[in-house]
Amino acid sequence: MTDLQFENVSITYRSSSDRGDVVAVEDVSLDLPAGATLGIAGESGSGKSTLIMSALRLLPKSARLDGRVLLGGQDIRELSFGQIRAVRWAQASIVFQGALHSLNPVREVGQQIIEALEHHSKGTWTTPQKRRDRMFELLAEVNLEASKSSAYPHELSGGQKQRIMIAMALACEPDIIIADEPTTALDVIVQKQILSGLARLVAERGISLLMISHDLAVLSAVCAKLAIMRHGRLVEYGPSDEVCLSPQEDYTKQLAGAFPQIGDPESRLNPRTLKPAEVVRAEPFTMTDEVVLEAKDLSVSFDTRRGRERAVRGVDLQLRKAEILAVVGQSGSGKTTLARSLLGLQEVEAGSQLSFAGKALPKKAKELRAFRQKVQMILQDPAGSLNPKRSVYEAVVEGLKVQGIKDREYERVIGALEAAELTPAEDYLESIPQELSGGQRQRVVIAGALALDPQVLIADEPVASLDASVRGEILSLFLALKKNFGMSALIITHDLGLAWNIADTVAVMKRGEIVEYGEVDRVLSDPQHEYTQELLAAVPRLGSQSLVRNE
Amino acid sequence: MSANTPAEAAPGPSSNEPNPRGSETRGSIPVVDGAKLVRERRLNNAKKNWALFRSDVPALIGAVVLLFFIVIAIAAPLIAPASMLDVTKQLDVPRYAPPSLDHPLGTDDLGRELWVRILWGARVSILVGVAATVMSMIIGTIMGLAAGHFTGLFGGVIMRIVDFFIVLPSLLLAIVLSSVLERGVFTIVVAIGLTSWASTARIVRSQTLSVESRLYIERARILGAGHSHILFRHLLPAVMPLVLANTTLTVGGAIIAESTLSFLGLGDTSKESWGTILKNSMDVSAATSGYWWYVLTPGVAILLVVLAFTMVGRAFEAIINPALRSR
Repeated sequence: MTDLQFENVSITYRSSSDRGDVVAVEDVSLDLPAGATLGIAGESGSGKSTLIMSALRLLPKSARLDGRVLLGGQDIRELSFGQIRAVRWAQASIVFQGALHSLNPVREVGQQIIEALEHHSKGTWTTPQKRRDRMFELLAEVNLEASKSSAYPHELSGGQKQRIMIAMALACEPDIIIADEPTTALDVIVQKQILSGLARLVAERGISLLMISHDLAVLSAVCAKLAIMRHGRLVEYGPSDEVCLSPQEDYTKQLAGAFPQIGDPESRLNPRTLKPAEVVRAEPFTMTDEVVLEAKDLSVSFDTRRGRERAVRGVDLQLRKAEILAVVGQSGSGKTTLARSLLGLQEVEAGSQLSFAGKALPKKAKELRAFRQKVQMILQDPAGSLNPKRSVYEAVVEGLKVQGIKDREYERVIGALEAAELTPAEDYLESIPQELSGGQRQRVVIAGALALDPQVLIADEPVASLDASVRGEILSLFLALKKNFGMSALIITHDLGLAWNIADTVAVMKRGEIVEYGEVDRVLSDPQHEYTQELLAAVPRLGSQSLVRNE
Repeated sequence: MSANTPAEAAPGPSSNEPNPRGSETRGSIPVVDGAKLVRERRLNNAKKNWALFRSDVPALIGAVVLLFFIVIAIAAPLIAPASMLDVTKQLDVPRYAPPSLDHPLGTDDLGRELWVRILWGARVSILVGVAATVMSMIIGTIMGLAAGHFTGLFGGVIMRIVDFFIVLPSLLLAIVLSSVLERGVFTIVVAIGLTSWASTARIVRSQTLSVESRLYIERARILGAGHSHILFRHLLPAVMPLVLANTTLTVGGAIIAESTLSFLGLGDTSKESWGTILKNSMDVSAATSGYWWYVLTPGVAILLVVLAFTMVGRAFEAIINPALRSR
């Protein structure tokens, strides 16, 4: 068995650009004894990925490592290239971040697992037949059918691909598995399967697990010990339950609070953030009975290779003035298609009825344009939603130009940016998207929608690609928009905590159908449909190592 | 444009107000011309790109060479009067004189100075090269954008037209066009322009397709944008740098195509061009008779201009695509 120790590790990236040398990790000491589980939490840029890459000497040449990284008592810097190759995969292996793109798209996944075995045969899997058998053994271990070995990556779902990656990591019976955000792109149910699979392997095989994530709850579900990193430094380190449930540092508290506990009244309609959006009205708007956007018997189908597939089936929805409605479901449940059809971006089947303010959705281009001024949508990825060459001013003013609104252009832009809490707005006007952080970009996108003075905002996973601390800020902004301007919002998400944080009503979608629909307090506290119960059960809870102990 | 106060209602490009941001106070929204901010940022970007271009030595050399040829082409009548090309006035000049102090680049079979012919030839060669390229770029960009943006039948039909022009042997088509149409410089421009746009259209289309799938195009649609907004505000600016870089690279090809057509005797025989000089030299078998300067001079001139365009074009490419810079 092998221990992994970081002793006063500092890592600096040398750079010839204006930024000079960048310190990614500063004086971190951590210890992972054989058979232990350790989680490292932190936001993007905290240096957590850099730290674990150093364990296998996978850092780029421009990185300088100070301090010692000991693997099985040996300093990895003293190993020759041949020795480090033997260590990689055979002693310690990595499940990479974005594993969905780490598979070769033109080779069968079974072959790719065998490839790892060929490089590190260690005298055990010497013949092709033995390697094949081992490959099937591994697939069984990660709960995949043997027939999947001849599938190409694009034929597998995100969760299946992630399991293939884990099978590859297990291939040579390593002592340590390093998992870099293994479940970030997956929805709660698949996440639970992956995490409990990892937890089971750790428990049965005595493998040590080093996992990093931005989500404390995910880490605490599997790991016994937790380390919190920020700006390259270790902020807090200790047993998982202690760090999660009684955090000492403010930063840890903030991270722990970012993902709310469903059922916790304190976080109900109150996303936790250090920078809450201001509510300026003395009597904030609350949900009314006036229906603004309505769908009746909405169905949408796509032509696919396997014939016509119905993505949305007979959905009835009502969005009232100053209501925040969360549509929750797994990926592939038709949430995004639903949102697109509410905007008239997607052709719907005959018999579907969509209406806005009592009138049917227009079909003609000109009327549709006027309608879009009233109903705006915010897309999933703020980085992609902004033209990289155009400044903040141009991005926000775009809607006004398109809609032909000419008066008070500058004031409207400033007003929209301030409503989106990007202040002082004047300082951002000339920035281009790459100069902004993820949260700021999302605010610009929201401001672009607000500039048109819409009555309804539809948001598709507005916080999925943002850091935990930014998440709270954006969510509180949605709440403030509702309270200040009486705006209605339909928010699409796979995150039940989001619904708990800000929504008035929630609709749970499964395979294109709404299975449960009602007030958040009722649906999430007392779910009737078994799918809602399943979703709720899959949400990782802080502390308790729920997944390990349940197994 | 905000025109709430009389002061702002008459916007002047050379307004002498200080930094608009400096005079504002928090709380009240100052009256600022938003479009001006945008213009300033673009100007700054252009300055940055110019600095990058200046730091590229081959590109500067190329630009100097180009400038030289353009200046001599424009100033040809001043440097060497047209009478120097008149065969009847060259009777006392030796024929086939090798390069010497009296005849810097040598003389041809009719006693004309080659440097004078190169000077006058530059006018047609560069004019045709640039004009044909501009024509091919305009057609290529329009067709490529249309093929990439419009889906369905319309896009399909356009793409088949592009395919048709790609598989046509372009030299053959150019020969046919220039022999069917009236002889003249314009005919050569049309012949080259019509045969070389298809590859540009392909490049523009693929770039359009990749930009088209970005979220910000979807966002523009959500804001209510129609085809014209998406085409001219997002797609055209995104493909323009590519088209510009491609332009400088294509000019070289067009100059060579012009020379080829003239060499084959399909150009305007009444006008000097580098291709015509090459053709004359072949007619008198200059290469085999030892009159090397007759062949080499126009050849080197073509080489220099094409090389210069390529070097400038590569620098443009590197500015657009920073990933190329270190290669």
